[in-house]
Amino acid sequence: MRDLSTPPEGSASASAQIENETRSPLIALIGPPNSGKTTLFNRLTGLRQKVANYPGVTVEKYVGQVQCDLERTVELVDLPGIHGFSARTLDERVTRDALEGRLEDLRAPDAVVLIVDCTRLESQLMLVEPVLKLELPTLLVLNMWDELEERGGNLDHMELAHLLGVKVVKTNARVGLGVDQVKDFLSGVEIRHRGLPPPVRVLNNVPRGVPLPMIDAFTARRRRVDKVVDRASFVQPGPARSTERLDAVFLHRIWGPLVFLAVVVVVFQSIFTWAVPLMDGVELLITSSGEWLASRLSDGWFRSLLIDGVWAGVGSVVVFLPQILVLFLFLGILEDSGYMARAAVIADRVMYRVGLQGRAFLPLLSGYACAIPAILAARTVEDERDRLATIFITPFMTCSARLPVYALLIAAFIPDRRLLGPLMSYRAAVLLGLYGLGIMAAVVTAFLLKRTLLRAEPGSFVMDLPPYRLPSARSIGLRLLDRSKIFLKRAGRVIFAVAIVLWMLTQFPRLDTGPPPIEDSALGRIGQVIEPAIEPLGFDWRIGVGLVTSLAAREVIVGTLGTIYGVEGATDDSITLQETLRRDLTLPAAIGLLVFFAFALQCMSTVAVMRRETGGWKWPILQFSYMLFLAYSGAFIAVRLF
Amino acid sequence: MGLTGPQSMSGLPKEELGGELRLGDIPLSQTVELVRIDLPPERAEPLLERGVLPGCRICPVRSSPAGDPIISVDGSLLALRRETANCLCVRLLSDFSQESQ
Repeated sequence: MRDLSTPPEGSASASAQIENETRSPLIALIGPPNSGKTTLFNRLTGLRQKVANYPGVTVEKYVGQVQCDLERTVELVDLPGIHGFSARTLDERVTRDALEGRLEDLRAPDAVVLIVDCTRLESQLMLVEPVLKLELPTLLVLNMWDELEERGGNLDHMELAHLLGVKVVKTNARVGLGVDQVKDFLSGVEIRHRGLPPPVRVLNNVPRGVPLPMIDAFTARRRRVDKVVDRASFVQPGPARSTERLDAVFLHRIWGPLVFLAVVVVVFQSIFTWAVPLMDGVELLITSSGEWLASRLSDGWFRSLLIDGVWAGVGSVVVFLPQILVLFLFLGILEDSGYMARAAVIADRVMYRVGLQGRAFLPLLSGYACAIPAILAARTVEDERDRLATIFITPFMTCSARLPVYALLIAAFIPDRRLLGPLMSYRAAVLLGLYGLGIMAAVVTAFLLKRTLLRAEPGSFVMDLPPYRLPSARSIGLRLLDRSKIFLKRAGRVIFAVAIVLWMLTQFPRLDTGPPPIEDSALGRIGQVIEPAIEPLGFDWRIGVGLVTSLAAREVIVGTLGTIYGVEGATDDSITLQETLRRDLTLPAAIGLLVFFAFALQCMSTVAVMRRETGGWKWPILQFSYMLFLAYSGAFIAVRLF
Repeated sequence: MGLTGPQSMSGLPKEELGGELRLGDIPLSQTVELVRIDLPPERAEPLLERGVLPGCRICPVRSSPAGDPIISVDGSLLALRRETANCLCVRLLSDFSQESQ
């Protein structure tokens, strides 16, 4: 195989030479989770970093440039945080393969920087041995040195360096202490010559299912680590008092759950109230820029495509960006402060009953804003089956794209009358009921999944509780930046394509005078074709068209119905649209439609993200059909009940 | 190993089992030494990687609101489920606390 794919001798060496001259050394940054790895990475690279995915897997690859001095830059790759190299989790597999140079689009590193939290030196140093076996120039970064000293710990770091035979630097990455010494090391890294044998592949290749050897291997390695640590006169620091005091509240039998609920309420409040003015602002910006653009262009198909198709379509997604940013700001603070791990512990028992684990709580909460960032956030769920179950039920969480649809239908059909006192009206009750419906569907689905397709023995759940720390604005800012990039890229591409296709369907078959009336257009005909299928639900072809267009994104149905009924600039509080709807749709059918939207996976962006995150079409197709089935039967029953 | 089934731990006073204690039975702030992990390797691994190894010192420092143990190992805090804690076989550190070193 190799011979066939190798180009002729001369050109190969020439290109190798060019590559060697132009490329800069690549250094791998590895360490356990919560060791300050990403903080150090951000310190070293700042904005000069790029996020991509490793080929074929969902693990994100962060590569950044480090300017060591005026002339010299090196490349630094931030590998996923790991506890070991057994490749049990995706993160571990990627890190191991990256170190061994086995990843397609990442060359083997020329040096390694291993960062550890030196307040927990013994368990963190378990990574040192396999890393040293790579025989690459290695720097050991003892992070959180300040904390070690404050809490009365001690370590002879020179002796440790001597014993391990590596360079050692003491740092406090959060405030930037010692970062210059890390840079010094980086600037000294040379590109390894080709032709050297690849690094030894010995990273703890313990076969699975052999009971004793693995524990023995760990114990033996641990004994060696202990010996080194002892000789370097390591004194373990005392317990972190501030963390103990905070845990006494956050994990308290009564206060703990109360704080937890308060946090959930604040996050909800933030995405539904505080983000709204921002979203309105973005919407205004999109509409006015669209109008401005429209006024510059001459009337014709191109203007129509650009404004009615692309601008409106992509705009409908971009509107959610402020909400997602606010959500991620809160999640970032909760995560970096260390509270999120406590929240996961508190949520664990409830989630466990459903068949999930505490870590799934965060993605599911995010799902109330938008399923796309939520599905991405599910990567924190360590167990692969639990992760799949979590992202499978995420779209049942009432995302904000459903709200305009709910708002329109509720305003049009549900009387504004009080149900129980001044707080609860019929309308609020229906809205709450729809939220509840989503939760119920999620619980039942998770329960079924964990007993069928994703069956697994429950039990071993281990959760690290990192010490509480003040989150750094820098890290959170950088994360917000790349979250928004991912959201816009992933969602934007799909919506862009779908918007163009939908626009074309409304334009053809073309009449001499221009686009056809909606019922004669290709889109209208599609609606008429599916009418028999949705008739049992009490929907006519117009709703059918809305259902088809809302495949792009749920809220698109509002605009579509506006177009069909000839209501210009329809929004969810448009009175004319509500009145027209009341003429065409019965109350039971309207409730059926609400139920349909509560269940159906009408969001191409979610499907696209699901495909990426599960590595194939199997799960998204299953999810789409399952949710469609639930939506159809739910609406079918609702129409007959009311 | 044959004695480790769940039937051997319920009902009987712990002393009679020759120190066969489960982490789940240990009161808060009582440091113990881990003897054995009664879990298949795949599920023991996350524990091993985080320093929960035979011979290590474990101290339950707190209970979660639902009553699951939160333990301190090598200066790290870990949250476990009761079910997992009951698979960890431990012994009290008394006179022979230095033995396994």
